[in-house]
Amino acid sequence: MTPIDVLSAVLLIAGGIFFLAGTLGLLRFPDVYTRLHALTKADNAGLGLVVAGLAVQAQSWAAVGKLLLIWVLVLLAGASISHLIASRALQRGIQPWRR
Amino acid sequence: MESVSRRRSLAFRSRDSVINQFRRGWLRAVAFALLWWLLTAGAMGSWLIGAPVVLIATLVSMALVPPFSLSPSGVVYFVPFFIWHSLRGGADVAWRAFHPGMPIAPGLVDYPLRLPPGMPRVFMVNTVSLLPGTLSAELGANCLKVHVLDTRKSVLSELLTVERAVARMFGTSLQKVKGGECNEEV
Repeated sequence: MTPIDVLSAVLLIAGGIFFLAGTLGLLRFPDVYTRLHALTKADNAGLGLVVAGLAVQAQSWAAVGKLLLIWVLVLLAGASISHLIASRALQRGIQPWRR
Repeated sequence: MESVSRRRSLAFRSRDSVINQFRRGWLRAVAFALLWWLLTAGAMGSWLIGAPVVLIATLVSMALVPPFSLSPSGVVYFVPFFIWHSLRGGADVAWRAFHPGMPIAPGLVDYPLRLPPGMPRVFMVNTVSLLPGTLSAELGANCLKVHVLDTRKSVLSELLTVERAVARMFGTSLQKVKGGECNEEV
């Protein structure tokens, strides 16, 4: 294994842990708003790390660019859709869970 | 006499705006061409389709997206800021999800926006959702309702930092807060 492979593996595993945390949050957190927190933020960081892990192994700059483009598009979609879900939930009068 | 000069100034202004529009469209066309080059990995044959697509994309974006300006130094400052805070945000929510006691104390916070309306505000709304512990829930006239995962932490100072970074990226200044439009509650 070259150092690049090790770096790539570390980044990919770290990304996987973030995805696991996001899913766990989706299952454990009490209401729609807190679940959105878990999904948007953990998946943003998780996908970022997975993209970084793949980018260090990429054969060309075009491939790196494509990977980054995927990350940016997913971020954009995730952030806009979570905003839409949260604002719709507020409009329908769903009260945030309080401890 | 006056009307003639006004007409002349109008004609001048419209020609000026055409030149401006051309300049803006040109930058967008370069951006779309770069995107096409990226997607096709620089295959020369693909430009037969790529050139018209870039042209159409530019025209559509000119019609749909109002002009905005970006400051290069602001972008250079924003990218590492965003990556660092994304990682922090992910780690923060991951810790709370894994923790057996699930240490969360959610609530809603009203944040008075000082960014100018349009692109900077939309960008701010999306950024807030991706940063630690905050989720933009509703965008009002001058007020952003933010859902906070842990109200025991001070979120306002972090939102201020984000707003300043976004303003710097778009090269705009923050307006003064007009009182009474946004009642803060934590």
